[in-house]
Amino acid sequence: MKQYLKRNPNTQIVNSLRTDNDRGHRWTLMEKLLMGLTPQQYLAQAVSNPLNWLFAIVFAVGIPVIIGRFIFGLEWATGGPQSNAWGLFLGFGLFGMVPLSSSGFQMGSAVEVFGRHDMEPLERLGILNGILGYFFAVVFLMVDLGQPWRLPYPMVVSWGPASVLFLVAWHVATYLSVQAAEMSTSFFEWMGWPAGRTVIKKMALGLAVAGIILSTLHQGALGALSSYAPGKIHPLWYSASFQWLYFFVSSLPGGLCMVIVVSTIVIKTMAWRCDDNFKLNLDKLHISLAKGASMGLITYFVIRMIGVAHDNKWAYLATGWGVWWMFEIGFGVILSLFLLTTGVRKNNITLIRMGAWTTILGVILNRLNVYLITFNWKHGEIEIPPLREFMITITIYCIYIATYRFILYRWPVLFRWKTQYSEYAVLEATPAAIPADVAAVAGLEACPVGK
Amino acid sequence: MIDRRDFLKGCLACSVTAASVGVVGKNAFAAGSFEGYPDAMGVLVDLTRCVGCRSCEAACNNEQKLPDPDLPFDDKSVFLEQRRTTPKAYTVVNKYEVADKDTLFRKIQCNHCNEPACLTSCFVNAYTKTKEGAVIYNSKVCVGCRNCMIACPFNIPAYSYSSPTNPLIKKCIFCYDTRVKYGRPPACVEICPQQVMTFGRRSDLIEMGHERIKNDPAKYVNKLYGEKEVGGTSWMYLSSVDLDKVGLDNHMQKEPIISNVKDFLGMVPMVLSIWPALFTGIHLLSTKNKGEHGDHDHKEGDQQ
Amino acid sequence: MRVVKQKLIMVLTGTLVLLVSNVCFGTGIPDRITIDSIQKYYDGVSFNHAAHINNLKDCGLCHHNTTGAQVSDPNCVRCHKNSGAQAVVSCKGCHAAEPFTSEALKRQRDQHPPIFHMDKVGLKGAYHLSCVGCHKKMDGPTGCQDCHKRNDSGDRIFHSGAYTPKTADKP
Repeated sequence: MKQYLKRNPNTQIVNSLRTDNDRGHRWTLMEKLLMGLTPQQYLAQAVSNPLNWLFAIVFAVGIPVIIGRFIFGLEWATGGPQSNAWGLFLGFGLFGMVPLSSSGFQMGSAVEVFGRHDMEPLERLGILNGILGYFFAVVFLMVDLGQPWRLPYPMVVSWGPASVLFLVAWHVATYLSVQAAEMSTSFFEWMGWPAGRTVIKKMALGLAVAGIILSTLHQGALGALSSYAPGKIHPLWYSASFQWLYFFVSSLPGGLCMVIVVSTIVIKTMAWRCDDNFKLNLDKLHISLAKGASMGLITYFVIRMIGVAHDNKWAYLATGWGVWWMFEIGFGVILSLFLLTTGVRKNNITLIRMGAWTTILGVILNRLNVYLITFNWKHGEIEIPPLREFMITITIYCIYIATYRFILYRWPVLFRWKTQYSEYAVLEATPAAIPADVAAVAGLEACPVGK
Repeated sequence: MIDRRDFLKGCLACSVTAASVGVVGKNAFAAGSFEGYPDAMGVLVDLTRCVGCRSCEAACNNEQKLPDPDLPFDDKSVFLEQRRTTPKAYTVVNKYEVADKDTLFRKIQCNHCNEPACLTSCFVNAYTKTKEGAVIYNSKVCVGCRNCMIACPFNIPAYSYSSPTNPLIKKCIFCYDTRVKYGRPPACVEICPQQVMTFGRRSDLIEMGHERIKNDPAKYVNKLYGEKEVGGTSWMYLSSVDLDKVGLDNHMQKEPIISNVKDFLGMVPMVLSIWPALFTGIHLLSTKNKGEHGDHDHKEGDQQ
Repeated sequence: MRVVKQKLIMVLTGTLVLLVSNVCFGTGIPDRITIDSIQKYYDGVSFNHAAHINNLKDCGLCHHNTTGAQVSDPNCVRCHKNSGAQAVVSCKGCHAAEPFTSEALKRQRDQHPPIFHMDKVGLKGAYHLSCVGCHKKMDGPTGCQDCHKRNDSGDRIFHSGAYTPKTADKP
């Protein structure tokens, strides 16, 4: 798209309900899906994007493997590990993606609860990152479950309420709905259903608080799940008292850094889709996010150390596992902390962005260490997942990126949807909303948000 | 009787309702832990008696109508490696070369915990601890998350990954359906020529196990494995060597596995009740401060 | 069915006990004993009693105090130092063929047997523990089929002999 727009700078991209010309017609759904391009133009831009070629290759190979997993069974796909029952699908897909998706509740609560309206340009991106991360964690789960068609069972058929996973299931399901509601505002704008948007906006505070509650609990619960296997996880990655805190606290910088990383990718690859409000505020916002993330990382570092000291596990540091642990902490926490804080102090966005990358890699590495790499460490062997498991994981991750991009291209996430009061006057249910909208449109031109 | 499971069920059911409808969760308190059913049966395994004939494996295969084994059950080449339970074998015998003593053999199968980790980790309640002591599994509700395999401290449940349409957990069920329910001993106990396994009421077996140690302290290490481990197991072990040397974790926690997540689960009602008030309060405070000099901010928040 | 079987066992046991005691206290000790009470998966054992007597000389190694021999186990000595010969000498006279039926377990609980009899092994256990234990020490045969041949139903459940799995590719 970037290449295409470089060649055709005058293309009109959908950013409102009608074509720019006020006498113009309303965009049809099809036109909106094609972003205002003709099918030929759309195809031309798709072909000119090298990422699409990469996706084409990945999907051509990976989707048959995913289908094969459902035809031939899990053993065909993952080798059927009996002792390390959870492989890459959950270790990376669920345990790795959920903490990076905590951005949804953090950005939502920053704006709605703490009144940090300067964060608004990134609010929707944070929430989108949240909902997609959760949704694809569920997709990974569906691939991993032996009988995915029974996924609703813990909700309707048989309750196992003493189980942490039961809590996770309920909270992730509820939280997905909460995020869907939060995200629906941009969907409603895009579809041209302002009534729905108004209803959700009224619920914003409630949704944000629900987001905090559900996130605190299930981010922690993902850690508490590993408390079921105290003897199997290496002691350096396990602490009876801190396990759920490790997971919860590390998810905070994880989510914030994911927003930094995604918005960096966005500004580099689809600046055409970002409005000025987004572009001009981004560096400043990255510094704010980096401050928050450093705070989280410091806390995380301290409790990881307390965890080791509390159970007096220093002796393990002298072993091979200890070296690996020091790498995880050194790379994922200390290096990240250094990059982020230096970046903040020196106003160096590049350092911040590098720190954000190391933070999210560190969080993923931690999850893999807990559930995959150190799991059953006493058996002495690290089980390396078979090729097909990697292929499926990569394919689903690519579908995730493609979906992410699909939404960012279309829905008003990175840019503000241009509203036209004449339309709202017709569609809005409450007459009181009309002056507000007029004011909004006027205010929008007069003074950019967040200044 | 309110046991811990019921208490936690109560807590969580509360929490879930609270989370779903947004009301404040109510904390419930109950004390005590589940000590096991009084008439639960068990098996006392005396490792000093086992000669590694693998008859128990054969009997189990026959009783549970499991698929044909890869090798005959009298084939001793299987002892070359340490095996674990699989979907095709609910019990396996392993050989342990112990330096200063003879070779020992140990039969591995589900130990039928009093408070099973598989049961308490299962989010669809597929497991049941019967009053006879067996931990049985309901294949009709299993979703296949395999959390029980993660949670089991003995690495017992196996998953039939090879089935694309109906993969299930496969584990020893103490021959519940065919024998223990009717007061008969499990197939492995019955076939054992050496009477390695003694079947009886768990409470009697504990006494019997300690009696054996007392009567022959030179023969046994002073430990009845499974009496206390992870809250007590229906299958218990006597050995002539340290249990670490025959593949049992001698430092296994004494509390049931569920107690590890007790702290976390106990916190759930607290979060549900305090967070809404706390964060709504913070919201009021932070927006009030803003309101003094930046009223337009808020309006724009509503109308972005 | 079970009751009939049990009655049969009791009658048989009774006759045997009578026979054995007759033999012991009457004409003498049997030279060969056919152990065939549990023949589910293996054929019976033709036990060369005479050879074992010749080798061991000590009846108490197998028969505890029942033949009047001096017992060596310190726990047994406490009560049975001067017990003398008993009426019941055969293994199956005391060791139950089915020690774990609910009736057997109930009987065990109701009878409150004296302390060292509480943990009495079943008949099959008694044979094997006694025989295999001693054979190990004396380098006697210890393989299952060294003493009794596995029959067809044994081969079937062991998946051996005619029932060897096709997949088994043994060298």
